[in-house]
Amino acid sequence: MAVAMSALQAEGLNTFYGKSHILHDVALTVAEGRVTTLLGRNGAGKTTTLRSLVGLTPPRTGRVRMFGVETTRLPPFRVAARGIGYVPEGRRIFPNLTVHDNLLVPLQRTGPWTVARVYETFPRLAERRHSRGRQLSGGEQEMLSIARALLLNPRLLILDEPSQGLAPLIVREVFRIVAQMRREGISILLVEQNVRMGLEVADDAYVLENGKIVYAGPAATLAADEERIQALAGATAENWTLDA
Amino acid sequence: MLQLVLFNVTNGLIIGAFYVLMALGVAMILNLSNVINFAHGNFLALGGYFAFTLLPYFGFWGALIAAPLIVAALGIIIERLFVRRVYNRDPVYSLLLTFGFSFIIQDVCRYIWGASGLPLTVPASLSQGLSRDLFFITGYRVFMMAVVLIAIVGLFAFLRYTRTGVRIRAGTLDLDTVAALGINVRLLRSLNFAVGIYLAGLAGVLASGQIGLNPNMGDDLLLPAFIAIIVGGVGSLTGTLLGGLLIGVASALTTVFFPSASEAVIYVIMALVLLVRPRGLFGEEGLLT
Repeated sequence: MAVAMSALQAEGLNTFYGKSHILHDVALTVAEGRVTTLLGRNGAGKTTTLRSLVGLTPPRTGRVRMFGVETTRLPPFRVAARGIGYVPEGRRIFPNLTVHDNLLVPLQRTGPWTVARVYETFPRLAERRHSRGRQLSGGEQEMLSIARALLLNPRLLILDEPSQGLAPLIVREVFRIVAQMRREGISILLVEQNVRMGLEVADDAYVLENGKIVYAGPAATLAADEERIQALAGATAENWTLDA
Repeated sequence: MLQLVLFNVTNGLIIGAFYVLMALGVAMILNLSNVINFAHGNFLALGGYFAFTLLPYFGFWGALIAAPLIVAALGIIIERLFVRRVYNRDPVYSLLLTFGFSFIIQDVCRYIWGASGLPLTVPASLSQGLSRDLFFITGYRVFMMAVVLIAIVGLFAFLRYTRTGVRIRAGTLDLDTVAALGINVRLLRSLNFAVGIYLAGLAGVLASGQIGLNPNMGDDLLLPAFIAIIVGGVGSLTGTLLGGLLIGVASALTTVFFPSASEAVIYVIMALVLLVRPRGLFGEEGLLT
């Protein structure tokens, strides 16, 4: 047992979709109370990594430990019930349910987050509480997806591309919330395509390329490596920052 | 003439009510677990037979309450031991499995209670006609409609106002995400299965009081139940409810004016609805595709 317990520790993950080998010996650690970002270009295996961690696409080999307990073979609902919040790619709002009903779905673990507090933190959701999921804008859906995961009162929050398809103003709002979560002591694993923003908010960073980890280290070190960032972000390198 | 039409409209509503009870159960199981329960009509028959056996000890009212619960408990056992194993597999597996259970339950009924029809005695207070002009509307018919109505209102209230109900509705479209939010989806599916089976058992007790018991009594309701679901639109219980009532009344009214077409009419309705709206009246996009 390590001295400082990590929120999440994965070793040697090999994950397949049918016969195609997607993840190759992926290892990553999320230190407790810190923000870790997982970067990589489209198709690098970021979403597959997250799905492997939470049990939705179990790895064929490898081990996942969360807060010191092995979770590799647990079904997704048992992983989540241990306090692992997951905000999936594409938000996965229940389109047929109202905003309020979406918020009633998560398991009620004890903790600071209640539906009332969600409405305080996200006033827009309170205004739209009777609207159906499918009627929300992309930004509202993202807020709802994050709020829904927070109602689980997670110890670790896993976010898959929360800024995808959102206007810059909304993206900043999302990252403001991520920073707030961190101040409240929630460990965070963030997958981002928006490399600069991911690095700005993160303490630690991993870079995934073709299903392999090619960088593991401090986010600041990676942020200083302009060449690498250009390579990661590609032609669409974006320059938004938190205080822009 | 007016009496004849009235008689058939009441008949249609009652038949429609049974279609609806059957169809709602089938639809709940289909929506959440992608299993088409071919044994649903046999669970209905079991409800009637359990009531028949319990009646001498607990009376009609006791049997009405207990029999559907016992059927639901049996449903949970079958779901946990068998049906669960075919979730997430090709639908052929669940079709074959439930089809097999359909035969097994039917033969068990025949073995225990016999192949010939049995009566379920209803309390005398329920068997009188309402009035001399409306002699065909017995108290029992009104009673059946009332119980069906209570069951349907109860079901919709459960789905709308309880957390479990909300989770079932959420799981209809995206069960993975429900699981990722920490909900024990195995338990959710068991419970949902039990609720569907309970409705069949309840329908079985009620129907037995009107038409008596036989081992195949649920068979005639299964196909109309599927059609009610298709007409109403897969994924929408409101659609299933309206679909069941629609084909029930349409079939009964056809009996007045063109008796030989009374069965064909429900297929005509299905064809027409699907021509105009391939997803059914209230179907959700992206289901069963």
